[in-house]
Amino acid sequence: MEDIAIIGYAQSPSWRQADLTEPQFLFPVISDAIARAGIDRRDLGFTCAGSCDYLSGQTFAFVSNLEAVGAWPPISESHVEMDGAWALYEAWVRLQHGDIDLALAFGSGKSSPGDPAEIYPLQMDPYTITPLGADPVSLAALQARAMLDKGTLTEREMAETAARSRASAAGNPYAQVSGPSDVDALLREPYLTAPLRRHDLPPISDGACAVIMATADKARAVCERPVWIRGIDHRIEPHQPGMRDLTESLSTRQAGTHAGVGDKPVEVAELCATFSHQEKLLREALGLGDEVTVNPSGGPLAANPVMAVGLARIAEAARAISERGAQRAVAHATSGQCLQHNLVCVLEGG
Amino acid sequence: MSDAKPEAPDDGSVRMMDYFMQLEYHEPLCPVVMRYADELLQGHVTGHKCPRCGLVYAPPRGYCPICVVETTDQDEVVLSDRGVIANYTVVTPVQYYGQQETEPFVRAGILLDGEGGMMNLQDVVEVPVDDVHVGMRVEAVWKPEAERSIEDVTNRSWGGAEGCIVGWRPTGEADVPAEQLQGRAF
Amino acid sequence: MSRPAAIVGIGQTKHKKRRDDVSLPGLVREAAQRALDDAELTWTDIDAAVLGKAPDPLEGVMMPELSMADALGAAGKPIMRVHTAGSVGGSTALVATHLVQTGVHDRVLTVAYEKQAEGNAQWGLAGGRSGGMGAGGIFAPWMRSYMARSGAPEHIGWMVAVKDRRNAAKNPYAHLQMPDLTIDDVKESPMLWDPIHWHESCPSSDGACAMVVTTEGGAARAPHPPAWVLASAMRSELGTFPGRDPVRPQAGVECAHMVYEAAGITDPRRQVDIAELYVPFSWYEPMWLEGHDIAGAGEGWRMVESGETQIDGSFPVNPSGGVLSSNPIGASGMLRFAEAAQQVRGRAGEHQVPDAKVGLGQAYGGAAQYFAMWVVGATLDAVDQKR
Repeated sequence: MEDIAIIGYAQSPSWRQADLTEPQFLFPVISDAIARAGIDRRDLGFTCAGSCDYLSGQTFAFVSNLEAVGAWPPISESHVEMDGAWALYEAWVRLQHGDIDLALAFGSGKSSPGDPAEIYPLQMDPYTITPLGADPVSLAALQARAMLDKGTLTEREMAETAARSRASAAGNPYAQVSGPSDVDALLREPYLTAPLRRHDLPPISDGACAVIMATADKARAVCERPVWIRGIDHRIEPHQPGMRDLTESLSTRQAGTHAGVGDKPVEVAELCATFSHQEKLLREALGLGDEVTVNPSGGPLAANPVMAVGLARIAEAARAISERGAQRAVAHATSGQCLQHNLVCVLEGG
Repeated sequence: MSDAKPEAPDDGSVRMMDYFMQLEYHEPLCPVVMRYADELLQGHVTGHKCPRCGLVYAPPRGYCPICVVETTDQDEVVLSDRGVIANYTVVTPVQYYGQQETEPFVRAGILLDGEGGMMNLQDVVEVPVDDVHVGMRVEAVWKPEAERSIEDVTNRSWGGAEGCIVGWRPTGEADVPAEQLQGRAF
Repeated sequence: MSRPAAIVGIGQTKHKKRRDDVSLPGLVREAAQRALDDAELTWTDIDAAVLGKAPDPLEGVMMPELSMADALGAAGKPIMRVHTAGSVGGSTALVATHLVQTGVHDRVLTVAYEKQAEGNAQWGLAGGRSGGMGAGGIFAPWMRSYMARSGAPEHIGWMVAVKDRRNAAKNPYAHLQMPDLTIDDVKESPMLWDPIHWHESCPSSDGACAMVVTTEGGAARAPHPPAWVLASAMRSELGTFPGRDPVRPQAGVECAHMVYEAAGITDPRRQVDIAELYVPFSWYEPMWLEGHDIAGAGEGWRMVESGETQIDGSFPVNPSGGVLSSNPIGASGMLRFAEAAQQVRGRAGEHQVPDAKVGLGQAYGGAAQYFAMWVVGATLDAVDQKR
């Protein structure tokens, strides 16, 4: 495989409710990523976007987002109805051809207009699960319950994850929920959907993220500290939650192996643990020990711009290397309920 | 949800299940569209003129996608409510859930006089559908001020003037030669 | 790296207004199983899946790769879901092809589908609002503009409509089977979006299409002749800026030139043996012939009128019957790509164009702003043979 590096990235803040439209808050994010990469917009050889019509509440919603890219004169671009992390994957594959040297990937979404309990049941099997109205919180709660019953997790650990995430987020200007919390106070809060309390859930967020990648020669030419993508892989699991062991993430483990997570020590991991119990689960799936700093950005518990949140993990892992001195980081993105589809990306400094 | 009848005979087997879902999305108008809507209520059609390339966007989007620059109230232009039909079609309505049209209706792109700007997907009124043609000069038919409404304006309005402009009626002036408008879809 | 990729298995469903005999996974597996059978491979031979379809509200299932992972044999594998509006079937095929060309995978299954009778396509296309333009309302003024600019006589659209339905009668998978359709039938059919009549418009179909993409090694082992991907390109432009020309979109011109150049084609009208172009409304045939510089300005309609684009003409367009005869929206682009591939494999059955060696597949979407194209050949040097 060709060596590909991340040479620029940008995010919008995550808002509980953006007063701008998605294209309006997306376009400065893309312009910013391009500027930080130190390249000319017209030099991009390929662009790939990630977004979701049902999240936006409109068929063909992604078409308006093209206006934020600079698509005149025409460009080569594509779109996945998936988190921007998979748009990055498609762009990474495209760069492997070797005929172009720069690519843009972005993800964006507004979760504020819709109700997750109405929307996400549509993401499940339409014959057997959607009619149950199985919403993301209930499904996550089932997973957390399974872990608690197995003894691999405690409610205190969940609260500690939430508290640590919020505290870390204080250093992240793009985060939405941040600040100090007292774990005992969190544990005194009532359940929302047992065993999950409010702090175990991600916030509702609107936001966007963009990442610029370059092939090796280009990266070295324009970027002082390129962040190398040493491995990237994604895997999906059977859909029916009842057919999976929800206390493990087999596909994350598989993707991690294929991406080469365990080849060398990992310093930082940005994991798409949308619910507090998932962090420990993902740590184990990726073989990350206690020495690994997880979600220094605050992670999805601090900001959850669906369709951008996975790509933002990649951007934050890249930031840990290019701005904070880490040498090796792992980023994880997820799709579907209870971690059905997982993408793992291994990043290294030069 | 479907409106087609199953073809299979009823032999007792379960072949279809109806699932009717309703999703609600509440998105506040962004500042640019809110201002546009307020101006509509007052009887003005406004757009944004890109400070770099001069293209006029009606309704305004808050950016110029060609130059990839933000546009703001500073770039607002009041547009003419008179223009010419640059393109049109007559749609024979298909019935589907939420459809309110029952008779063939016109959707036209109106190229506005003066500063320019094109209002697309506009209704043409006070003229038989068969008489609508490219080059026809038209003017906006505004609802009486007390009856105007912006409750159907959204961030993604197709035509962008519903609730305030009923449609566009011929002014009776001589046509603009169609050849001058042949290329004009937007 | 970029190594050759070959299509060794192609499958599609019988396209119909309503496939109430299969579930969503059933529809997809029908096409996928046929593609695997054609390649004499099994589900376990596949390394990755790439799924494509049009907006999810057409069926009411969000991100269906999740609930269809098992049906696609994808558990434990990577899966992608592409969404580029009407061109999606084409761009999905290209994403799958890239995975093989770049060495990421050796055998990729790609499937595109739409089961739009599950929902209400007109509602979906209208964004759920009243006064929807329908599938063709946005394009009708542009077709009118082409007619005015080119001076084409009104019967050109009717001729395309008849040609494609007569071709479809030779294609057992095609939805519309109207072998006796006449020009008068088309002309007298109700107006849908003036000036487009009922019979000049595509149907609404349930259907799926699948292909197996593999390496040179895989092609050598395949039981039937492969189709080689000689070139491919995606190109997009903004859809609605002031002054935009959607009749001859620049992205379409550029996309075509990118594939011609990559394939070594200098004279498409002579060097391409068969074209499957995305023609959902009759006038798009002459418009794409010009829009992809196969014919010169104002000459596209003359190619139609002279019979060149008939199945036995010098530049057959849509021998499968095209989108005018089957339109499961998400699959239609892939059907164009797949039918072009079947032609150069010599496996198009009754609608085979004799000696087809170089085929062009094209799909478009959105406000005629998204383009995906590929050139396939019976051999890797099929274009060189045509110097």
